[in-house]
Amino acid sequence: MIDTLKTVFSNFRYVVLAVIIFILMLFSLLLLSEYVFLEPYVVSHIPDGTEFGFSLIVMLSVLSSLVIPMNVYRISTLKRSKKKMSGGIFGSFIGAAAGACSCGPVGFAIISTFGTVGATASSFLTNFEIPIRIAAIGLLVVVYYTTVRSLKIECKINHKV
Amino acid sequence: MDKRILFGGITIVVLVGLVALFSASNVADRDLSANRMHGSVSTTMGSSVLGNPDATITIIEFGDYQCHQCYNWFHNTKPTIFQNYVDTGKANFIFVDLAFLGRDSPKAAQASYCAEDQEKYWEYHDVLYASQESQIDNGWANSERLKAFAFNLGLDMDLFNECLDSEKYSKRVQYNISEAKKHEINGTPSFFIIGPNGQEHQIKGAQPYSVFKQIMDSMI
Repeated sequence: MIDTLKTVFSNFRYVVLAVIIFILMLFSLLLLSEYVFLEPYVVSHIPDGTEFGFSLIVMLSVLSSLVIPMNVYRISTLKRSKKKMSGGIFGSFIGAAAGACSCGPVGFAIISTFGTVGATASSFLTNFEIPIRIAAIGLLVVVYYTTVRSLKIECKINHKV
Repeated sequence: MDKRILFGGITIVVLVGLVALFSASNVADRDLSANRMHGSVSTTMGSSVLGNPDATITIIEFGDYQCHQCYNWFHNTKPTIFQNYVDTGKANFIFVDLAFLGRDSPKAAQASYCAEDQEKYWEYHDVLYASQESQIDNGWANSERLKAFAFNLGLDMDLFNECLDSEKYSKRVQYNISEAKKHEINGTPSFFIIGPNGQEHQIKGAQPYSVFKQIMDSMI
C-alpha cells in the first residue's frame, strides 16, 4: 500500500493536487457546517457536542485528497477507466451535501425555491448528516482500497510490458 | 327618569365590558401603529424585551426552534453573553421567529406566544431549546409535545390549548418571517446588534462569543 502511495505521490504534481483538494474540501465543509466564519471577522470554533462532526469532515477531506489524485494518476498515466474516479467524486460530493443543508443559506435557498419538497429534502440531509457522512467515508475507503489494489496490478503489468 | 339613567349606565358598562373583552381576545392582532423599532428592524411582533429596557445595546436573534445551530448558540454562546452583557444591564435581548425549517417550526413559534399570554414566554422559549432533538419534524415539537411542555410549566391548559389549536398567533409568526426576509436574512440563527447611536451590525450564524464581544465592546 505504501509503495503504491509512493508511486503516485513521488510525482510532485499529485502532491500539489492532493493539497489543493484537501484545503478546498476542508475549508468549504468547515464554512458550510459553520465551524469557520468569514464575516464580520475571520473566526473558527468547535462548539461543544460537535467534535464528532468536525472529525468526520477532516476524515472526508483526507480521503478525498488521497482518492482523487490516485484516480487522476490511473487515468492520465495508466490510461485506465474513469469508473473509480466517479466513485471518489460521488463520495466527496454526498459527504459535502450532508452538511450543507441545514439552517444555513443553502438550506434556506432550497426551502425558499422548492417549498415543501425542498424542506423535506433539506430535513433529510440535516437529520441524517452524520450517517450520510459516515457512508461517504465508507464509500471513499472502499474506492481507496480498490484503487490501491488495481494500481498495484496495473503498475506490475506496465512494468512487465 | 332614574330608570332611564340606570338603564343607560348599565348599557355603557356592558359596552365597555364588551370592548375590553374584544380587545383581550385579539391580543394576536398587535397594534402595528405602535411599531417597536430597533434600528431598522421592526420587533413589534417579536418577543418582549429581555433584560434592561434602557440598555444601550439590543441583540435581536432571528431563530427557528428546530434549528440545530440555534441550539448550539443557545447552549454554547448565549449563557456567556447573558452573563456579561444582559445580566449586567449593558444589553437587552429580543427573539424574532424565522420559522422555516419544517412543518412543526411555525407551530412551535406560535406556542411560545400562547405561553406569553400567560407571561411564560421566556420559560417556554428555554424549554423548547432545551428539548430540541436532532431530527427536524420527528415529532418532538408536534402539537401534543408543545402542549406537554406547557403543562409541565404549569400553564392554564384550557387557555393554552385554545390558543394553539385556533392558530391565534399564525399571522404574528408570518409577520416575523416576512420581517426577516425584508432584511435579507437567509439562515438561522442571525443576529442584529443595535448600538446606542443606531449603529447596526449583522452576525450570520452561530458565531462564538468573541465575535459578539468585539462588536458590543466597540459600541459601549
